[in-house]
Amino acid sequence: MQNADFAVDVQGLSKVYDGKVRALDGVDLKIEAGNVFALLGPNGAGKTTLMRILTTQIKPSSGKASVFGCDVVRGESSVRRLVSYVPQEIGVWTDITGYENLLIYSKLYAIPSDKRRKTIDEVLGIVGLWDVANSIVKTYSGGMIRRLELASAMLTSPKIMFLDEPTIGLDPSARKAVWERLWSFRKERGTTIFYNTHYMDEADQYSDMIGIINRGRVVTVGTAESLKDSIGKDMIVFSLQNHSAADIPMERITALDSVYGASVEGSELSVLVRDTESSLPSTVKVLFEAGVAIEKISVAKPTLDQVFASYAGPQAEKRDGVRQVRAVRRLIRRG
Amino acid sequence: MRNMAVMIELEVRRLRHDWAELYGRAIQPLLWLGVFGPIMSTIRAIPTGGVPYIDFITPGVLLQSVTFVSIHYGINIVWERESGILKKLLVIPGPRYSIVIGRAMASGLRAIFQSLIILPVALLIGVRFVPNPLYFVLAIVVIFLISGGFASFSILIASFMKTRERFMGIGQSLSFPLLFTSNALYPLSIMPPPLQFIARLNPMSYVVNAVRGLTITGDISNLAVDLLAVGIFDVAMFVAASISFKRVIE
Repeated sequence: MQNADFAVDVQGLSKVYDGKVRALDGVDLKIEAGNVFALLGPNGAGKTTLMRILTTQIKPSSGKASVFGCDVVRGESSVRRLVSYVPQEIGVWTDITGYENLLIYSKLYAIPSDKRRKTIDEVLGIVGLWDVANSIVKTYSGGMIRRLELASAMLTSPKIMFLDEPTIGLDPSARKAVWERLWSFRKERGTTIFYNTHYMDEADQYSDMIGIINRGRVVTVGTAESLKDSIGKDMIVFSLQNHSAADIPMERITALDSVYGASVEGSELSVLVRDTESSLPSTVKVLFEAGVAIEKISVAKPTLDQVFASYAGPQAEKRDGVRQVRAVRRLIRRG
Repeated sequence: MRNMAVMIELEVRRLRHDWAELYGRAIQPLLWLGVFGPIMSTIRAIPTGGVPYIDFITPGVLLQSVTFVSIHYGINIVWERESGILKKLLVIPGPRYSIVIGRAMASGLRAIFQSLIILPVALLIGVRFVPNPLYFVLAIVVIFLISGGFASFSILIASFMKTRERFMGIGQSLSFPLLFTSNALYPLSIMPPPLQFIARLNPMSYVVNAVRGLTITGDISNLAVDLLAVGIFDVAMFVAASISFKRVIE
């Protein structure tokens, strides 16, 4: 059943380019309305292809996908009225002004003429391009161009925005600016946002849900926290005072509930635990009873990078042949 | 319909920011009229039906420059595919052929501006035009239409090309064969028969004939046939370009 409660509902979606390259291989995905969803994945994993199918640019080879209950194939034109899309590449004309770009797009989106000016002024305000609206886009910085593109995607107040690598190639402050604008727009209008990225920190910071895609499949979906928990083992490192390995009651430590393993290197004892909060007291107690003096304790929490690596990273690098990568790139570029 | 109008408006706005390109593109036709024409006319070897040679070639030169501009338009489409604009246009509501035809029409607009630069210069050189405003307007319409047709032709070719550079090469090499296998620089009657055959299939011959009749000789006895040929060419190209546009997307 295609459900209108979900902003995006994808079932068993596949896309084969030219009968050869399998860009998507049975994607299942549900995104709730109002969520900011980040799709993480290595290059050529199928991020862009999925987004292009959801925005009706290309047709899937098999499977089903709907946006707010409208099928992307049969309800193509209804989908286009709900979505807006910012491609990875530059999506504005650089030889006219920012204002003119928005004017052209507002006409293409059929915004009534009496509302056009107001709408354009509004989005220019949101993305903070007021003062440069009448300059030729060629003179803009990368971050300003991106914000102009976001503005053009905001014109229709879409129910869902699809952003393909929205901050690619931007410096940290420009990235921050893009996200702050986007975040306030989303807060104001409740727009669902679906974006592709390969910046972990971005997904970590700016999302309600994260999906990881690898080799044409969405391998996991969850909040940043739940994903970290899923591979989640904390590492507690104890720096010890003048103790040889023999003094440390290794059996008693590893026998503790919630401890996965322990190892000693020099004067450092590393203990792998399910979560620090509940394991630290018992571990410290064991060390204390054995008379081992602790100088310092440090804790390393898993990062999204590790999550990503555990779901996608090493496999993607090992298995992808150069030819396959090239073929995928060529097809994506051509698209 | 609205999308087509917006595409034309876009073109006006781009032109407003960069007139230099229009002037730059006018240099070549002015060389034809200012250098090639006068020199060739001194030998009086080409039967032009009683009009001076420069007058005879003016419509052809004008249309060659229009063709060149239109064919170059395919580059725009390839460029927009490399950038994200095309992808974005695919997501707007409305039928996709409106984008293709809109772009082609925008090329027609550029062609008109191009003509408006060349014509006064032709007047200065001494070309005598038929003093009939109605004919003149009709000639502009014909130029607009054929430019749209050639731009669609160019989009069709562009859909087979992957990079801008490759397209540049093809684009350059298309406009001259079109010129030389038409009646733009010499009448059909002096061509060898095989070339005459090709010239009769070349849409350029019909437009040149129409524009020459309307602006130089005032003889419009063949106008209906010429317009029909232009119409058929345009429709065929619009359809082919719209279909091939699918290739551009995937």
